[in-house]
Amino acid sequence: MPDIFINPPEEKKEAKTPSPREKHKAPGYTHNPLAAYGYLPDKVNFETRESEEKVILLLRQHPITLLPKALVTALMILAPSILSIFPILSFSRLPPNFQFIAVLIWYLATAAFVIQSFLPWFFNVYIVTDERVVDIDFYNLVYKEVSDANIDKIQDVTYKMGGVVRTLFNYGDVLIQTASEVPNFEFLAVPKPDKVAKILQDLRIEEEQEKLEGRIR
Amino acid sequence: MTTIPLLGISVWLIVKIFVLLGLVFYFVFALVVVRQVQLMTETLEVGFETQLKILSYLHLAFAILVFLAALIVL
Repeated sequence: MPDIFINPPEEKKEAKTPSPREKHKAPGYTHNPLAAYGYLPDKVNFETRESEEKVILLLRQHPITLLPKALVTALMILAPSILSIFPILSFSRLPPNFQFIAVLIWYLATAAFVIQSFLPWFFNVYIVTDERVVDIDFYNLVYKEVSDANIDKIQDVTYKMGGVVRTLFNYGDVLIQTASEVPNFEFLAVPKPDKVAKILQDLRIEEEQEKLEGRIR
Repeated sequence: MTTIPLLGISVWLIVKIFVLLGLVFYFVFALVVVRQVQLMTETLEVGFETQLKILSYLHLAFAILVFLAALIVL
């Protein structure tokens, strides 16, 4: 009896491993470790993170908050050149060897200022995971504070965005009230506060869903 | 007149001593910065740790260079 239908041989398709850049196409996703708004950032790990905990958001203050310090840094870098025009204000009254060392010390002070400005901005982060919100603060070079609260303990999320500069650059404050030991979390001057509030709302809904279904994750 | 009459010491020598003392304190500050960057990167990892550690070591090297320059030049 002739065959009515012969199933064509299946072509074996090898599962293509997506590259890191293809994995995440969600809006706001960035590979930039210096980004102030990182949605689903890669390579983020912090001290108290659990092994299965997934980082949803990594936030810092908007880079525009660094503008005043950046301007001061630029002035400090240019100061020896500009002030050399005015003999009274320059180091010209000093012997030549002292002038040279004075300029080096000036740039050493500039480096210290840059470090004191950049490090707190870079390491003071707000992290939202699928289970918690975490606030990491380094108040100075020798004092740090890490606070966290579970998503299901969040009672209220408010975001504020006001003023010309904040509206222009789309950054504001997100205030989170919780029922945990730390009653308030303040995400100050973060980009896209509306999106942050929306993500927190979605996570809270998901936590309630998990409770109803009796799931852990 | 750059010499202190009673002591017979040059004013600039005293300035040099204070400059070197200040640079020693700055060297200690640079060491604190290196240690603090280490502690900060242990608390939070975002994939920029190597660059920050290099910058902190460069800053420390710059502090040492300026101290040595002051020691030799002044």
